[in-house]
Amino acid sequence: MSASSAVATLAQRRFQLTVRTPRELLVPLLTPIMFALVIAPALKTALHTATSYEGFVAIGTVGLLIPLNTMFAGIGVIVDRREGAQRELLAAPIARGLLVFGNLLVALAITALQVAVLIAAARARGIHFDASTTGVLWFVGAVALFTIGMYGVAEILASRVPKQEEYIARVPAIAILPWFLAGSLFPITALPNALTWVARFLPLTHGLALMRYGLLGDDSGLHNIWGMSSAAGMAALSLAVTGLFAAALTAASIRVFTRSAVA
Amino acid sequence: MIEVKKLRKVYPGGIAAVKGIDFDVAPGEVFGLLGPNGAGKSTTIGMLTTTIRPTSGSARLAGFDVATEPLQARAVSSVVFQDSVVDRSLTGRRNLELHARLWGVEEREATAHIEELASTLGLSDLVGRPVATLSGGERRRLEIARALVSRPGVLFLDEPTVGLDPRIRAELLDVIAGLRARMDTTILVTTHYLDEAERLCDRIAIIHSGKIVALDTPDKLRAQLGNELVELRANGNSADVLASLRARGIARDDAFTVGSTLTVPLHDLTGSAAISAVHELGLATDISTRRPTLDDVYLRLTGDRLAAAA
Repeated sequence: MSASSAVATLAQRRFQLTVRTPRELLVPLLTPIMFALVIAPALKTALHTATSYEGFVAIGTVGLLIPLNTMFAGIGVIVDRREGAQRELLAAPIARGLLVFGNLLVALAITALQVAVLIAAARARGIHFDASTTGVLWFVGAVALFTIGMYGVAEILASRVPKQEEYIARVPAIAILPWFLAGSLFPITALPNALTWVARFLPLTHGLALMRYGLLGDDSGLHNIWGMSSAAGMAALSLAVTGLFAAALTAASIRVFTRSAVA
Repeated sequence: MIEVKKLRKVYPGGIAAVKGIDFDVAPGEVFGLLGPNGAGKSTTIGMLTTTIRPTSGSARLAGFDVATEPLQARAVSSVVFQDSVVDRSLTGRRNLELHARLWGVEEREATAHIEELASTLGLSDLVGRPVATLSGGERRRLEIARALVSRPGVLFLDEPTVGLDPRIRAELLDVIAGLRARMDTTILVTTHYLDEAERLCDRIAIIHSGKIVALDTPDKLRAQLGNELVELRANGNSADVLASLRARGIARDDAFTVGSTLTVPLHDLTGSAAISAVHELGLATDISTRRPTLDDVYLRLTGDRLAAAA
């Protein structure tokens, strides 16, 4: 059996299981939509900021949606292991790393759908995005690579944590804490100097700066990281950082999964 | 079809679960690994299905080495696990289709074979339902159908009836026994139920503490204890009573004790002569004779009551 048809079969299985648990689709959407549609306008009014702040926060909420969604996707790995289905997959004549890719494809597809819903909801609320084709490509690239990296984190955690309860307990530290530091609701330069430096090393900071550059034409986030004059150059560097994060975490997740799956 | 040579597994912490076992299973044979929990049966199955890495030794399925050619070994085999592995929210048919696709079965062939298996295993009216709605017995039959969809050359049945009520267990044994008549699959079944091993298997390996302590056909294993044995309850220390019986030539080396019960295989003695001799000694009560069973063979080899240990 070819690797592509094996991954397609695995992804199909994961998708069919996911759509039977609507909470996995809806719950990750709730908080970001609340931020984009309710909290951002409220903050704009309370802080007397410009209209563009809503757009700034709308993109910021993508940085919350992706980690929440991928962490929820990781629960499927624990369910597979605890309910026994993983044993069947491990006994199949396919390379075990492909199991990770099958799950990743579905996490990517569902994240894409949710980001599209979030952006559509933001536009319906009157938030303006001035994106060019190139801008959309930067945005899509950042979303895809950050999602891949975060799914790697989820898969690693799911492979190492025996129980669903323990996994859920770790989600806030992984999905939410970095979000507050990565320039989601305010520029990273508003943080104390030491935390600004910490933020520059977070993949999410690079991802959000790229997304804003792509969809809002705002390169201030990239400038806060790199301090260079060429916006495209800084975007390329941040894309490379996000890509490196995705590649490293995917490789690590395959290694951790295959090692934990065989005694 | 299955060749196992000096297969050994030591888990981290130095726990030796399997201590260098050897056996071969011929094409079409039904081979049983019999032993209590913790004997090494599941570790052996795990190594043969490539979910547990052997520490040393080798195993081949249809000529494919499980350590160096795991994909090929998995492609020719299938497993019915001790616990359910089907996706409960999907229908039975969807589970079977997914298995067929993962094992590379052509869609048209898979569809036809799924219908055939559903009919054979009494699942025709059930495969369209989500697995979560099936009873325990129906689910086990579905698990067997799932394992057979890919027409495996080697089928592993890991404690296939454990945890089932007696009626469902009897039904399932019928199903498994019926597979022999319809398919030429080589089957390796692990169990701690002696009747199951005796009914299903051409040959049985008794595994104890990670070692194979006996391997033969059920009849030949039983024949090790002769045609008849005496069972008695010792008055006092059972080891002392056994020593007395041995000193008087009533018991040989193959007699054994479990608690206060002595089991004495009769070779040259008749049952009535043995009972009279024991009565005369006044060392025992509840004396009776019966034919040897696999349980006796197991007890002699391991000094442990299988059913209690399981």
